[in-house]
Amino acid sequence: MPQPILPSQLTRSITTQTTTPTLDLAQAYTASSLTTSATAPFPASPSPIGPQSVLATLYSFPALEPLRFQSYPSTHLHLPTRRDILHRAIVYEGDKTRLGTASTKWRREVHGSTRKIRPQKGTGRARLGDKKSPMLRGGGVAFGPKPRDFSTKLPRKLYDLAWRTALSYRYRKGELVVIDGAMELADPSPRYAREVLRAHGWGNAQGRSLLVTEGGEEEREFLFRAMEGIGEEGRVLSWEEVDVKDLLELGRIVVERGALERILEEHQSDLTKTKRVNGIP
Amino acid sequence: MPPRLQLLQTWSGLFSSQTPSLAPLLAPFLLPVQQQRAASILSSLSDNPGAYSKKIRRGRGPASGKGKTSGRGHKGQKQHGKVPAGFNGGQTKEEITKGPRGFLNHFSVNMSPLNVDRLQDWIDQGRLDPSKPITMKELNDSRCLHGVKDGVKLLGRGSNQLKTPVNIIVSRASTSAIAAIEAAGGSVTTRFYTPASIKRVLRGQVDPVVSLQSTIPRKDLEYYRDLAHRGYLSHLLGKNDSPSLFFRVPGAPGSKKRDGSKKKASAAKAENRIW
Repeated sequence: MPQPILPSQLTRSITTQTTTPTLDLAQAYTASSLTTSATAPFPASPSPIGPQSVLATLYSFPALEPLRFQSYPSTHLHLPTRRDILHRAIVYEGDKTRLGTASTKWRREVHGSTRKIRPQKGTGRARLGDKKSPMLRGGGVAFGPKPRDFSTKLPRKLYDLAWRTALSYRYRKGELVVIDGAMELADPSPRYAREVLRAHGWGNAQGRSLLVTEGGEEEREFLFRAMEGIGEEGRVLSWEEVDVKDLLELGRIVVERGALERILEEHQSDLTKTKRVNGIP
Repeated sequence: MPPRLQLLQTWSGLFSSQTPSLAPLLAPFLLPVQQQRAASILSSLSDNPGAYSKKIRRGRGPASGKGKTSGRGHKGQKQHGKVPAGFNGGQTKEEITKGPRGFLNHFSVNMSPLNVDRLQDWIDQGRLDPSKPITMKELNDSRCLHGVKDGVKLLGRGSNQLKTPVNIIVSRASTSAIAAIEAAGGSVTTRFYTPASIKRVLRGQVDPVVSLQSTIPRKDLEYYRDLAHRGYLSHLLGKNDSPSLFFRVPGAPGSKKRDGSKKKASAAKAENRIW
């Protein structure tokens, strides 16, 4: 892996992925960090991998001041991007959301008589049975849609892995902004919310944003009211309403720490040993 | 981006005498784009190519390969409907005339293979800790093995690549693998695991080395008594004991002697016979 020319503290934009800032800036500029010559042709074998963790920066909400770091296990926020797993989760969600309410009347359900409408022979015209034949106007639909369940199944462990994979993907791209505390506005006006989003580069021009809160519409009243008017700039959802597709759809996710941890806790069945009966641990 | 700004400066320096107003014109093209279009990952998601099979579209033209007769051949019940499985046209059924084929070997084991080069690779990546004993639990947890079937058998592929001394405990080990591990300064122990104990070990309920109590089948007992297999029961063998429970070591005390004394005795008996 080539060494970065700039120290990581300088290349960071709004991203949340950071390293522990142990190095002084001046120290990071020393010649050793800039040269990538092969001084060690045989790198020593790495130390055994134990439980790993990554750091996320916690910000204050409207001001977006970095407050502190929060450590999360790599199994939660630094998983490899498995596009197949994400695909399966999203197809599963799409199938589950599908209403399947399309309904038509087949020939036996159409109201009407089963009387033969003309004699079998002698008229010089085509043979016909009753009026409700699919061939005739006003007849039933041949094998038309009936209400049905389109939902498919996905192993819970796989679905939970997809949740954390989606969050990890966002984290690695620097598109996961974690807010410390409650994400609430001082004013319920959409104009104010739009200014906040645009000031942080979260608006429509930068691919919109998904705001995820721990509390619902009652707890974050101003935020939900304000965002209702500016759907073109972003969306707000409480952590219970979010699904994997939501996490991947918009330009970035701005999530309360509590909401993030609730999501992670809810979706770790492949890591924990708790047995679930009908989804209840 | 500094390099592009330098390019801009040199460019404007070159043409300053002729076209002094070129740099401002070029600036929008040389400067990095400020706004990037957000490309969602959603459009590039797909399942692995091998995870699903493409639907065969029957009766959709000759190019599909299943066009004309849709793979059903010509004429008859098979073309138009269904024929019961194993139906022989009314003759005695095949499973009655021929009977079942083959047999199920209850004694066969399905060992998960582990090669020495893969072991070394995992150690090099830091995914296995060579300072601690390596058991099936460590191998499974590090995904060096994707599940353990009836046990782990250590095999000798890439023996020359092994450099790290390791202490490894497996179900079985090949001669070349044992040689490779011990040449690198490590040690191999083979241990008996029942399917149930493998489950418990992988769950972390039972120590993979110490607390295993089970009755061992005779053939396994003989395997693990053998020092050549580095069996964990090889210490039970005395100096002249054989790992086999049936055959003694030839020449050892207690084994059948084929010396001449018996022959002589029988010869003497024959001489003393009256009849």
